Amino acid sequence: MAKISRKFWFTFPTKTQVQRPVIWEMSRKFPEVVFDIRQASVQDEIGIMAVLLEGEAEQVRGAVEYCRVAGLQVDPIEKTVIEG
Amino acid sequence: MTYVKGLKCKECGHRVPATPVHVCEQCFGPYEVEYDYEAMKGKVTRESIAAGPHSLWRYKDLLPVDVPRTGFNSGMTPLRRAPNLEKLLGCREIWIKDDSCNYPTYSYKERVVSVSISKAVEFGFDTVGCASTGNLANSTAAHAVTAGVKCFVMIPHDLEQGKVLGSLIFGPTMVRIKGNYDDVNRLCTEIADKYGWAIVNVNLRPYYTEGAKTFGFEIAEQLGWKLPQHTISPTAGGTILPKIYKGYQEFIELGLVEDNKPKMYSAQAAGCNPVVTAIHKGSDIIEPQKPNTIAKSIAIGNPADGYYVYNVIKDSGGWGESATDAEIVDAIRLLGKTEGIWTEPAGGTTLAVAIKLIQQGRIPKDESICICITGNGLKTLETVQDALPYPEVINAKLNEFDAIIDRLGETKSEPELATV
Ligand SMILES: Cc1ncc(COP(=O)(O)O)c(C=O)c1O
Ligand SMILES: [Zn+2]
Repeated sequence: MAKISRKFWFTFPTKTQVQRPVIWEMSRKFPEVVFDIRQASVQDEIGIMAVLLEGEAEQVRGAVEYCRVAGLQVDPIEKTVIEG
Repeated sequence: MTYVKGLKCKECGHRVPATPVHVCEQCFGPYEVEYDYEAMKGKVTRESIAAGPHSLWRYKDLLPVDVPRTGFNSGMTPLRRAPNLEKLLGCREIWIKDDSCNYPTYSYKERVVSVSISKAVEFGFDTVGCASTGNLANSTAAHAVTAGVKCFVMIPHDLEQGKVLGSLIFGPTMVRIKGNYDDVNRLCTEIADKYGWAIVNVNLRPYYTEGAKTFGFEIAEQLGWKLPQHTISPTAGGTILPKIYKGYQEFIELGLVEDNKPKMYSAQAAGCNPVVTAIHKGSDIIEPQKPNTIAKSIAIGNPADGYYVYNVIKDSGGWGESATDAEIVDAIRLLGKTEGIWTEPAGGTTLAVAIKLIQQGRIPKDESICICITGNGLKTLETVQDALPYPEVINAKLNEFDAIIDRLGETKSEPELATV
């Protein structure tokens, strides 16, 4: 299996919808996936984080899926879309 | 009848049918169109191509489109020998592939947009869009008209008026967005997600990028079914360079040209050179930059396909260089004076870098060289305005005109290499 490294936007909905520490849970469930928070803006109601996930493709996919099921929105970070 | 098998992820190899998706559902890598080359053999020939229309659609068998909807006059731009540059640089064989006269909006973008919008219609979209500061917007807006679809163009709010008009004339809905570059970028990604439009270079990216192969196909065919040994191409988002190379490789695979191990070279502006920096460092990690250059059409700090440019450069044995703004302006003027072609800063960058690579000895003077000119200088008047001495005024008297001729006689000289 190939190791991959991917950047994602993690969007946290309101606190009442997700009360669990999802990122901590994810890292417990997928200890082989390295996560690195590159950017974050967390307010009362909503939070957004740029996260780099590294590991076996299978594991990274699983980690992403875990967070989605737990109620986070997880989107891949796009490169520049505005062209000349 | 097409030879398309479907889409295949460039990273993990995951396959899906040809649909409007661009990121792999498994690993978020980019999808690329996969063809059945075996089925093409003996059917896609020099003769079958030469019998096609005089446009980029002569290569339809190698493009992911059933029914072309626009671009009927796009592509098949001149490939010109450059005897004066050869003389000046002491080279045996220099060619210029000249998309400064690509129809109808004068840049290489006609190729990618023709394919992308044709595919959008095939998928049933009635609205196309893009986020662009210039060439891509011009081309998308124009081809949307021909294809009969609605068009949205997103631009940063502070874009120069000239650039806005160049798209507005074709009647798209234009939206000016406030915020810094990253904000605009982010919003455009969200728009692409939410509205279900065909954003030509985002959700249709696998089809869009295929259009750039026609730049390479044409070079090979126009050179008499041969490949140049060295090809210098600009790099912005990283579409065109790898796709010229893919075009070469497909012709080799089909036996249409001999494999002479063509080398690719990337040209970037010094004020925005994330890919060239990576090439020089020997690292495939493309670190994003904040662009600061007059070469706005190729100023992409976080290129979507930069990594693939890096790979092609490495695999082909080529290299990359950057040019300062002053070198870019000098090269624009040099191309005008030597070969009668007016290009925009992207082309100035490419020529300036070609000269550097030749002078460094990276590109041997006795081998065949192709310089890719991808845009037109009429769109970027401001970049050369200060560099060109404004003509003097005389009275309507013959003796005053004579005086000018006398002075010219004293100073007339051959074009020089300001970049030496
Ligand atoms: C004139 C011109 N040349 C070259 C490019 C290079 O583009 P890319 O590397 O994204 O294919 C662009 C893209 O915006 C352009 O407008
Ligand atoms: Zn994949």
